[in-house]
Amino acid sequence: MIIIIDGKKIEVEGKRTVLEVAREKDIFIPSLCDHPQLTPFGGCRLCIVEIKEKRGYPPSCSTYVENGMEIKTKTPRLQELRREILELILSEHPNACLICSEKENCDEYKSTIRKVGEVTGCVLCSNNGRCELQDVVETLKIDKVKFPSVYRDLDVKKGDPFFDRDYNLCILCGRCVRVCQEVRGASAVSFVYRGSEAVVGTVFDLPLLESGCQFCGACVDVCPTGSLTERGIRYEGLPDERAKTICPLCSIGCELKIDLKRQKILSSKPSDEGAVNEGQACVKGRFLIKDVVHSPRRILKPLIRVNKKLEEVSWEGALDFVAQKLKKFKGKKTALIASPQVSCEEYFLLHKFASEELKTENVDSSYRFSPLAVFDKMAKENGLELGLNFEIKDISRAKTLFLIGEDISKSHPIIWLEVLKAVKGGAKLIVASPEELSLSRYSALWLQIKPGTEFYLLSFLSKLFLQKEQEADHPRIEGLDSFEDSLDKLDLSNVFEMTGITREELKEASELLLDTENAAFLFGMGLTQHSWGSRNVAALWNLALQAQAQLFPLGLENNLRGVFEIGRNSSDKGLNLNQIFQAASSGELKALYLAGPAPYLKKANLELLVIQDSFVNENFEFADAVLPASTFAETEGTFINGEGRLQKFNKVIDPLGEAKPDWWIISQLARRMGNKGFHFKNPSDITKEMIKIVPSFSNISYAELEKGQKIFIQEETKKERSFIPLKYSDSHYKKSKEYPFLMFLDYSLDYYRSLSLSQESRGLKAIRDSRWIKVSLEDAEELNLKEGENIAVESSSGKFKGFVKIVKSLPKGILGASFLLSEDSDFSVSGLIPSVFQESHSLGMLPVKIKREK
Amino acid sequence: MKEKVLTEHFGLENLYKIDVYKKQGGYQATEKALKKMKPEEILEEVKKANLRGRGGAGFPAGVKWSFVPDTDKPKYLCVNADEGEPGTFKDRYIMSHNPHMLLEGIIITSFCVGIHAAFIYIRGEYEAIALRLEQAISEAYENGFLGKNILESGFDLDIFVHRGAGAYICGEETALLESLEGKRGVPRLKPPFPASVGLWQCPTVINNVETISNISHIILNGAEWFVKQGLPKDGGTRIFGVSGMVKNPGIYELPLGTSLKDIIFKHAGGMKEGKKLKAVIPGGMSAPILTADEINIKMDFDSLVEANSMLGSAAIIVIDEKTSILDVLKVVTKFYSHESCGQCTPCRIGNSWINKIVKRIAEGKGKKEDIDSILRLASNIEGNTLCPLGDAAAMPILSITKKFRKELESHV
Ligand SMILES: Cc1cc2nc3c(=O)[nH]c(=O)nc-3n(C[C@H](O)[C@H](O)[C@H](O)COP(=O)(O)O)c2cc1C
Ligand code: SF4
Ligand code: SF4
Ligand code: SF4
Ligand code: SF4
Ligand code: SF4
Ligand code: FES
Repeated sequence: MIIIIDGKKIEVEGKRTVLEVAREKDIFIPSLCDHPQLTPFGGCRLCIVEIKEKRGYPPSCSTYVENGMEIKTKTPRLQELRREILELILSEHPNACLICSEKENCDEYKSTIRKVGEVTGCVLCSNNGRCELQDVVETLKIDKVKFPSVYRDLDVKKGDPFFDRDYNLCILCGRCVRVCQEVRGASAVSFVYRGSEAVVGTVFDLPLLESGCQFCGACVDVCPTGSLTERGIRYEGLPDERAKTICPLCSIGCELKIDLKRQKILSSKPSDEGAVNEGQACVKGRFLIKDVVHSPRRILKPLIRVNKKLEEVSWEGALDFVAQKLKKFKGKKTALIASPQVSCEEYFLLHKFASEELKTENVDSSYRFSPLAVFDKMAKENGLELGLNFEIKDISRAKTLFLIGEDISKSHPIIWLEVLKAVKGGAKLIVASPEELSLSRYSALWLQIKPGTEFYLLSFLSKLFLQKEQEADHPRIEGLDSFEDSLDKLDLSNVFEMTGITREELKEASELLLDTENAAFLFGMGLTQHSWGSRNVAALWNLALQAQAQLFPLGLENNLRGVFEIGRNSSDKGLNLNQIFQAASSGELKALYLAGPAPYLKKANLELLVIQDSFVNENFEFADAVLPASTFAETEGTFINGEGRLQKFNKVIDPLGEAKPDWWIISQLARRMGNKGFHFKNPSDITKEMIKIVPSFSNISYAELEKGQKIFIQEETKKERSFIPLKYSDSHYKKSKEYPFLMFLDYSLDYYRSLSLSQESRGLKAIRDSRWIKVSLEDAEELNLKEGENIAVESSSGKFKGFVKIVKSLPKGILGASFLLSEDSDFSVSGLIPSVFQESHSLGMLPVKIKREK
Repeated sequence: MKEKVLTEHFGLENLYKIDVYKKQGGYQATEKALKKMKPEEILEEVKKANLRGRGGAGFPAGVKWSFVPDTDKPKYLCVNADEGEPGTFKDRYIMSHNPHMLLEGIIITSFCVGIHAAFIYIRGEYEAIALRLEQAISEAYENGFLGKNILESGFDLDIFVHRGAGAYICGEETALLESLEGKRGVPRLKPPFPASVGLWQCPTVINNVETISNISHIILNGAEWFVKQGLPKDGGTRIFGVSGMVKNPGIYELPLGTSLKDIIFKHAGGMKEGKKLKAVIPGGMSAPILTADEINIKMDFDSLVEANSMLGSAAIIVIDEKTSILDVLKVVTKFYSHESCGQCTPCRIGNSWINKIVKRIAEGKGKKEDIDSILRLASNIEGNTLCPLGDAAAMPILSITKKFRKELESHV
């Protein structure tokens, strides 16, 4: 169609607003409430235009173009109206600075006065210089306001983590309300009251912490004024540099814009161009990056043990020392633990180093606990192909979604947003979880499952399916007969009692799952962490085949997939993570190279411990050498996110102190030990070598990677998918008189290397503390436990401490705790080793008792 | 004077009971519509009747219904019983005296449009009336006029009564929908219009109580008869609610096109003893004011538009010479600045400033420029807001200020 804007003929296609078209053609129309990611609102009325044959002044942000439309954007009446409207807005906004004739010269005088509590003008406002309201005032050339200024005198809300809300500056554009509801699905804020008292607020004016806020910061990012401001940058002024990189705090891989001032990170925000996140992030990427990189726990100098004490040395000294020592412990007596949070390049080098220099196959990482690892194990056992070719974006197109074993609104926030899109488009979401999740309110069905009984749930659903299928007479998939046989042998007579799910619910679930063309099954640690985890995955596999669903394993760490792809073809002969820790205690292992998180090694019996990490941790106590590694922000490389997308991340700042990137440290060590294969000048040299050597990387073009093009690790699939017979064994947990509770472990996603994010950030701690021990309301009442009270949990092999967190929806008799390898030993579930590691992949559920702490 | 249509039996005791109502021929229209007529025929009849909406805007009901698309989605009817327009009190008479007439209208409308769930959104203050409606509805269920397979026609319908919480804006049709959905009652952007995207995103018909109450009469007596009760382009009667300084305030059902002068001086008994007419608000508070010289006017949609006012809810507020126009303005501006939902700038802040200025004048602290400020602010609201409340506020403010400028100036 053709439209005319200000006399200019413009071709337009599709359903577009006048404002969108105008922006695209560089025709400037002032606007405040419109935001490209949000549905039109039509509230501020600055974007008004005149349209031939239309009454009044339609807002261009919410008027869709029609063929032949003649639009004027800048008539004198429009400009006058806009100025009048803006004056109305300014009459309720601190405006002295906006219309001050001295504002140009003001910058020179205002160095520190921003540190006052109340914003009475731009000069005191942290939004100064990046404010959309300022911009509009500038373009409409407002130099006076006819009305006296009204200060609303509302309390500034400062009690919540991460950002303040000063609604005295709010222009009621509603962007925060819309982003929170439309994009994040949280609906934590809304308009309240009406008329001149209308304002944005939470339900009953409760703190955000009690209003279902995710602290994603999306509202802060869309706010055009200084009403919502990140507390951390309140007094910092404008950045002097901006860089882009990839967030390393979960398996999504959001692209972040990092604001810098004098080589220090001011803040991090999601990038609109981010291929996966498209302008969204989560609390970690939005508010914690700075805390992680500039943590006071960073170690910035190499240390070696001299006379029983760790002492600072030069890199030369440290590297020589470590190289020398390591030479003595080659082979089976040595092990290396890597981190699934380092880059592909670094992980590749760690592997290469272990095999070429340490001559050991004992290399592992916490990848071992991941759903992907269990899935892979199951597939290998049954000769199946994983079929990991999916994109996160596919999820929004699903018609039915089944989520089991993960609270994705916390662990995979961006995947959650895709699920939300699907649900808003009419998809049905089924959630199986022991406690009610905040996302359950969007589910068509919530199955409150007793943890550990997933196998029965899935098998029973398969059975219901088969009964239906027999009537339908579908083409038969290979393996159906033996699968059917195995199901017939399974005793499911008391499945309702075992799982805690009613017959009606199970029937409804099977109907929802059956009645779909496009289903996605998302599964996490809750399904795989049991010692029979791979049987659970097998049951899910069969059900997915029946429902023709795509399986999405939900890994936690940012580079799990990289770890998987790099390690894919190496042997499984060496010790795994669990065995390494056990061998370290028994004395079988003499030397351990820790380049990844490990539990407190008090019981270890080692002759050499080398720690390569970015943060101080308790194991320094036993270390012979500590090599300070830089964080992701101080180097470059690639990560592979959960969907197999290979993304390049960039160096944002120079390494802090004397810290060095992991790839550099390993290369130096290897060279010192005489290896000529480690002459890398920068990570891209390593990438190029990986492309040559690692099979999964063989199709990658380095040039495309450099250009930031979309690159996916592609899985070859040759076989038709087939059913696998279910193996049954007695798989559920037993409590005892002495240990009357079962504790499920939530392998915590809130860590970076050996830094516990919730212990580092007060804000995150208020939202979710890794030291919380979840207790059901019933148990809390029975034992008279108070929220936040100190308690200890004891198993047959140890105890750890934490704080009571009462969870209403948790079933009686069940406790929950986060499992964080890097947590302080007193508070770490890993203190319960060996019972934590029952099997290589398993965290399982632990029979425990509660003890009161004084 | 022609016969009354809606209020004919209002004098009858217990008319609200189904037996009494049926004795007066009640539910015959329903029988006729469901048993003898096709939905298309009903629609044709309502269109021909030129029944224009009684809620304010006067949109032809039949045309509105015909906008409902043919989809697989459920469709809904919402009866607007919010009756929030100051001066308006006709719907409550209908609902309390003759609830079954409304129910009949709902049944026939729903049958015509293919609706199986209807809602009556009633203002929160009408608690007793809501109760009466509930009773009438249960009587209708008992008598087989509601529920499954009504009168063996195969047609199902349920009616729900939903009470509002006291915001004027919830009478605006899209705010009403939001409120009904359990959200904060604020207007939605239009288009899309409720007929295509309404309650829970489904096609929805929204009509005023009085509009729907006319339906059974159109069905029983035919469109031709209905048009004769009023004007060719504006069929039927209107229930005029007269309030203010007249001898006999109350409701008067009269043909559309009756002159305003007659309504005030004949039907409502003229001005109260010793009072002289100063001005009239002819269609609820949102309607531009008419001066005493302007009352020689026919009360129908088109004639009032010609006179730069509007028929609105046909609530006639009669103002006498002794009433200060500043007091009138004060009431008007206070109301709108309080009832603005706050979504758009001109309405929220504009009305708030107008209100402040008027208050200031009333306190004797007004300035000369204030009158022009009011005019400027109000004209900036007009045509520049998200929902019609902006206009509804600007129109009376502008007309009062312009027509009574001299008097207002005497206060500053
Ligand atoms: C601010 C505002 C308040 C309104 N209040 C009412 C009301 O109380 N009752 C009503 O029937 N219509 C009210 N309306 C009109 C409705 O939006 C809608 O036009 C009407 O219910 C349609 O019914 P009708 O076509 O039968 O008149 C209001 C409109 C506005 C803008
Ligand atoms: S929000 Fe913008 S206009 Fe308002 S005080 Fe802050 S910088 Fe100035
Ligand atoms: S931080 Fe996120 S969840 Fe919280 S109010 Fe803002 S947008 Fe909503
Ligand atoms: S807080 Fe910011 S985003 Fe929210 S309505 Fe106010 S100005 Fe707009
Ligand atoms: S979703 Fe994951 S990648 Fe994105 S910001 Fe949060 S932690 Fe970082
Ligand atoms: S015109 Fe007034 S009532 Fe209507 S949407 Fe705007 S602010 Fe709300
Ligand atoms: S940008 Fe269009 S009304 Fe605000």
